[in-house]
Amino acid sequence: MTTVAQAGPGAGTPLIPEPATVVGVVAETPNIRTYRLVLDDPAVMEGFAFLPGQIGQLSVFGAGESTFAISSPPSQRDYIQFSVMRTGEVTRAIHELAEGDKAGVRAPLGCAFPAEEWRGKNILVVGGGIGMAPLRSLLMHLLDHRDDYGRLNLIYGARTPADLCFAEDRQAWQERSDLDFVATVDAEHPDWSGRVGLVPTVLEEENPDPADTVAITCGPPIMIKYTLQSLDKMGYREEQIYTTLERRMKCGIGLCGRCNVGARYVCTDGPVFSLRELREMPDEL
Amino acid sequence: MMRFIEAEKIPELLASLTAGGHEVWAPQEARDTGGAVLFDTIGGTGVLSLDRLTTLSAKHLLLPGTEKLFSFRYALTADGERVELRHEEPQPEKTVLFGARACDARAITILDALFSPRQASAKTYNDPHYRARRENITVITLACVTCDAACFCSSFPNGSAEKSGSDVFMYPVEDGFLAEAITGKGGEITAGPLFEDSELEPPPLAETARVDLAGLKGGLMEIFADMDFWSRATEKCLSCGYCTYSCPACYCFNITDEMRSDREGERLRSWDSCMFHLYTQETSGHNPRPAPAHRFRNRVNHKFSYYPANQGEILCTGCGRCVRGCPAGLDIREVLEAARARAAEKSASREVPK
Repeated sequence: MTTVAQAGPGAGTPLIPEPATVVGVVAETPNIRTYRLVLDDPAVMEGFAFLPGQIGQLSVFGAGESTFAISSPPSQRDYIQFSVMRTGEVTRAIHELAEGDKAGVRAPLGCAFPAEEWRGKNILVVGGGIGMAPLRSLLMHLLDHRDDYGRLNLIYGARTPADLCFAEDRQAWQERSDLDFVATVDAEHPDWSGRVGLVPTVLEEENPDPADTVAITCGPPIMIKYTLQSLDKMGYREEQIYTTLERRMKCGIGLCGRCNVGARYVCTDGPVFSLRELREMPDEL
Repeated sequence: MMRFIEAEKIPELLASLTAGGHEVWAPQEARDTGGAVLFDTIGGTGVLSLDRLTTLSAKHLLLPGTEKLFSFRYALTADGERVELRHEEPQPEKTVLFGARACDARAITILDALFSPRQASAKTYNDPHYRARRENITVITLACVTCDAACFCSSFPNGSAEKSGSDVFMYPVEDGFLAEAITGKGGEITAGPLFEDSELEPPPLAETARVDLAGLKGGLMEIFADMDFWSRATEKCLSCGYCTYSCPACYCFNITDEMRSDREGERLRSWDSCMFHLYTQETSGHNPRPAPAHRFRNRVNHKFSYYPANQGEILCTGCGRCVRGCPAGLDIREVLEAARARAAEKSASREVPK
């Protein structure tokens, strides 16, 4: 059972967002942008608390609301960050937001990664594409509490160099001696001198020892599928593996009905699940 | 002590409730609807119709088809753009729902558990709009002494004698109705001058068709992955959503924004249906429930497996509206019976020694 992280003071009542202002926009890839928001009510912003893995609803009033992982770490008190891939109507409206524009936030929602339970363990983070968003929050949180954890591995891949997010962070992560970071792209590319190979392949090549290790993965469904097979081959057991699910969501409070997998709601019982929990749920992903 | 009211005094009762400041909804045969009986406010052109279950349920009195959650306005100020959210405290009418059936009244208790639970916890939610309407509604239930072939409330513990959700429970007797006050709010109505004390015994209530729900227990999840079964059992489904819209207990909703001008708009909550393809379709195009069979399976499982697992109750009251109204003639009872048989078959074949 994933530990239910008690949400701290949040933004917005269950269905009514907290007005917020965009204070920063980072173009990550051709279709992914990161939005940094400050809640307009200083007291709510001051009290806002969450844990990595938790999600939020980002509103553009008039266009609607969509669910995103919070991609900033809890220690980032100056803003709340969401990284958004442009795919539909709401995300298109979000991509039109510029610094100073208004938006709405309902957060945090859902359960966090049980990072407290993982203290003392080695951590392997495996991300692909936009799937790095929740993992960035987690990784930075782990780095904030670096002494609490053992070996720390990050494998992050995307189709092309231009599809890798968080360029500035990647630079910083490469320079750290206490983080083993491998960035990879699917195929050779003129702009890329680093590792080449699909994430699961690189994962098997790196082969971090499963002993006393927790693996957390998030990315496109096909990457997750093969990553889970690789982890299994490498000797990781179901209870050592965590992922975070994506579903179409509306309310974020377990009520509107659409994000259930069996009797569990991704918005409230998840989005973080261990592979063991997922295996016990009906196969309807 | 039961109270009695003459049948011919019912219009007077409804008029007095209206005069007392209530908006009174009662089953009426609507004009030009091919004989549909619907809950409507009294005083219009409809004709009171108390002899059969309404075609659609009364859930819209608590969960309107569409309602405003809040309005928003972008405003330009000296400091730049601001966004103002306006959330008005709901101020519902005092409402009487007259002529609900036991299945309709019990459905309200199901909605209560989701939208205004009596026992709050970190995981429960108390919806201000629902709560305000709920506190202001009085439910006068008409007990069923007859039923039709689509009814199946006798599959549930109290059958047609279920009183939860009712404030007054009225039994049809010769020339009138016996009224039993279930709540204090109901007692205030039956204490009125149109009622008199009565020694009459309540009549026997309807016995409907039964679905073996106990036998179904656990079986649904046994056959979850059996898409042959689900595809065949639900192949008539048109994904039209009638079953969910007519259901008194279905509550799933959508949230959307509507602009009213270029700077002002509203966020709305509206009924949605798990039978619709777009309900679960993700923007990537991926859909975890891509076919009607997946969606029907989810609807059946939500009602008879998931919801009981989470809330301890079945999300169905046996009103039969989904059976009566399905344009393709799909009968959820037949699906449940077939599921039970299939699950039994499956577990029997497992028990055969090799």
